[in-house]
Amino acid sequence: MAKPKLIKERVPTPERPVEERVKSFVEVNLGYDFASAVKEAERCIQCPPEYAPCIKGCPVHINIPGFLKALRENADKPDEAVKNALRVIWNDNTLPAVTGRVCPQEEQCEAPCVMGKVGDPINIGKLERFVADYAREKGIDRELLTEFMAETDGKGRVAVVGAGPAGLTCALELAKMGYKVTIFEALHEAGGVLMYGIPEFRLPKDILKTELDKLEKLGVEVKTNYIVGKTVTIEELLGEYDAVFIGTGAGTPKLLNIPGILLDRIYSANEFLTRVNLMKAYKFPEYDTPIAVGKKVIVIGAGNTAMDAARSALRLGAEVTIAYRRGREDMTARVEEIGHAEEEGVKFEFFLTPVEFIGDENGKVKAVKFEKIRPLEERDKRGKRKIVGTGEYVTLEADTVIIAIGLEPNRILLEESGFKANPDGTLIVDENLMTSIPGVFAGGDAIRGEATVILAMGDGKKAAKAIDEYIKGKKANA
Amino acid sequence: MPYKILEKKEIAMRNIWYRIHAPHVAKKVQPGQFVIVRAFKNGERIPLTPVMWDRDEGWIVLITFIRGRTTMRMANELKPGDEILNIAGPLGNPAEMEKFGKILAIGAYTGIVEVYPIAKAWQELGNDVTTLHVTFEPMVVLKDELEEAVGRHILETVPIDPNLDFPTNMKNVTKRLTEKVRELLEKEEYDMVFMVGPAGDQRAVFNVVKEFGIPMKSDLHPIMVDGTGMCGACRVTVGGEVKFACIDGPEFDAYQVNWDELIARSGYYTDMEQRAMQEYMKALQGGEQ
Repeated sequence: MAKPKLIKERVPTPERPVEERVKSFVEVNLGYDFASAVKEAERCIQCPPEYAPCIKGCPVHINIPGFLKALRENADKPDEAVKNALRVIWNDNTLPAVTGRVCPQEEQCEAPCVMGKVGDPINIGKLERFVADYAREKGIDRELLTEFMAETDGKGRVAVVGAGPAGLTCALELAKMGYKVTIFEALHEAGGVLMYGIPEFRLPKDILKTELDKLEKLGVEVKTNYIVGKTVTIEELLGEYDAVFIGTGAGTPKLLNIPGILLDRIYSANEFLTRVNLMKAYKFPEYDTPIAVGKKVIVIGAGNTAMDAARSALRLGAEVTIAYRRGREDMTARVEEIGHAEEEGVKFEFFLTPVEFIGDENGKVKAVKFEKIRPLEERDKRGKRKIVGTGEYVTLEADTVIIAIGLEPNRILLEESGFKANPDGTLIVDENLMTSIPGVFAGGDAIRGEATVILAMGDGKKAAKAIDEYIKGKKANA
Repeated sequence: MPYKILEKKEIAMRNIWYRIHAPHVAKKVQPGQFVIVRAFKNGERIPLTPVMWDRDEGWIVLITFIRGRTTMRMANELKPGDEILNIAGPLGNPAEMEKFGKILAIGAYTGIVEVYPIAKAWQELGNDVTTLHVTFEPMVVLKDELEEAVGRHILETVPIDPNLDFPTNMKNVTKRLTEKVRELLEKEEYDMVFMVGPAGDQRAVFNVVKEFGIPMKSDLHPIMVDGTGMCGACRVTVGGEVKFACIDGPEFDAYQVNWDELIARSGYYTDMEQRAMQEYMKALQGGEQ
């Protein structure tokens, strides 16, 4: 092979102009076309798979150099190139249109990319997304799906609780191995946070739905409107299935325990985003679900959820300020999304922590009282600067407040089933992701607390392997 | 999986009865629990209460009061044989099933349909249950069923005065409610009062019950979206703590509830609810032309 020629700068992806995109929920980033995707793929220096740091950085270990090679090997035959690339991706990740969009690549696969040492890392996320999008548009994904269909006779039956990223991945991996899988989902649509949490301008729901079509094609049954713990118990599932996977996430919002929390127009980010994304309240009254957003919105928090809520509120016509108790460099949201929020006109206030919501005579919020915060040099366990109140206060006007300070696991399951859990409600699992109940595995936010989509998918995949081993062992001993 | 409407009928003015095939709910539901229904593709999720069920045949009965766009659309557009898109449940905690003694179970308006399964189960458990239904004259429901199910069923109706606006008419119901409750509590000794109805009426009745120092439980109806504890739309302050009615309730100790807050919160979307209704009415009229 010829000595690789290094191209330091990545091929850019076009984005919709700010003034156009803030008026609607259409996707901001437009992605690569084939020619620019190949050009970007050609920048990869093709580290061998057993060494490639990008593969190690990916929680589901996609053979990244492999799929980039497949793309450029058939640069004159786009359909062929994409089919080969998608096959490589699907071996490890069945939801590339999702992960290519929502993964924090800068902390995962792209962080250790060798090219990043001399210039820009390879734009792996956008290339993954390109492959998935092109394949979907050309129907290539449907053709390829037949290759992944497995014989399901007699291998075993698995129940998956929760149709979010962890559950979907676990179900798809098990289906590819030949298990008969049933997913139980509490809401009326599958997808979990991908459906109710992440807005259309980052992950269009039509695209998500086509990704979810794979479930049916691979023989996975989805039972919506089933609340495990209420509609059916874990014990009953264990009676019917060989194993159970819990991927119920962390969906219960943390609310601030300060005066005024029950005032009108104070939303948890989960309620706000569920109304907007799942119920399409931004299309009210064409859709029946209402949402009340005023002219001045304050979002409390600075994670991805806060960015999503802020940018959604902006698109509903409000002026939006994010208030965060730490500094700019402490924000946990993706760099790309913070950038998008700033471009779109979201304002930021740092080192402020809310102490009271102030209401008007009608019980509507009209202002938030904050205490000013001072950072210390000392760091906490997560490496963040410790902070301390200054005793100084500032009051900001707001007619709507969205609280995005984090989520914790829902306790419905815990109460009903007697799992061993941590004080924060996360399930305790062993190194094979098995819970304290034999045959019941768990992963994603249900065991981690609020984390990322891709870590949940990594858990789903790992659990699928462990479940396979468990069921094989059980059948051998039977 | 859609859920088939086996039977639909108007059982009183603005009160619609649906018997629906929903075996997953019918198999598990207990008195006090509810379901979340989404009837249409562009529809919202609304909480409703299974009034009756047959575990073997796999059906539940829901009775809706036509109050806004969704309940109106359901009444207008759904026919027997049609399918409801989503019914999630059962949700919430079952009502406490104990021997409390002599119970006064109150239902204001269509609230009585939620009282029915609980009162019936309490009576079957050996309690002496008196049910009280206060509503407008043309809105009487489940009279025969309650007379059969509990020790005594008292029906108090208030005429709708066409010369008065709706809020004023509703005040007459509140007045009759509080008067009747006072009369009953003065004459007889009750061990517990239970109520389902609008938050304002619940507070009015609670203020009477409180004077007698009798324990009271209330089924609360805050706004809900998911009904599974993941959004907090239904939060209420109970005993000074924030609780989610969908997972911690819907039944709470009336003495612990912050009624003012609850009443304020139930009116949060009134403007948009009216707009949704008007748009729907406009569309209907347009369709008829």
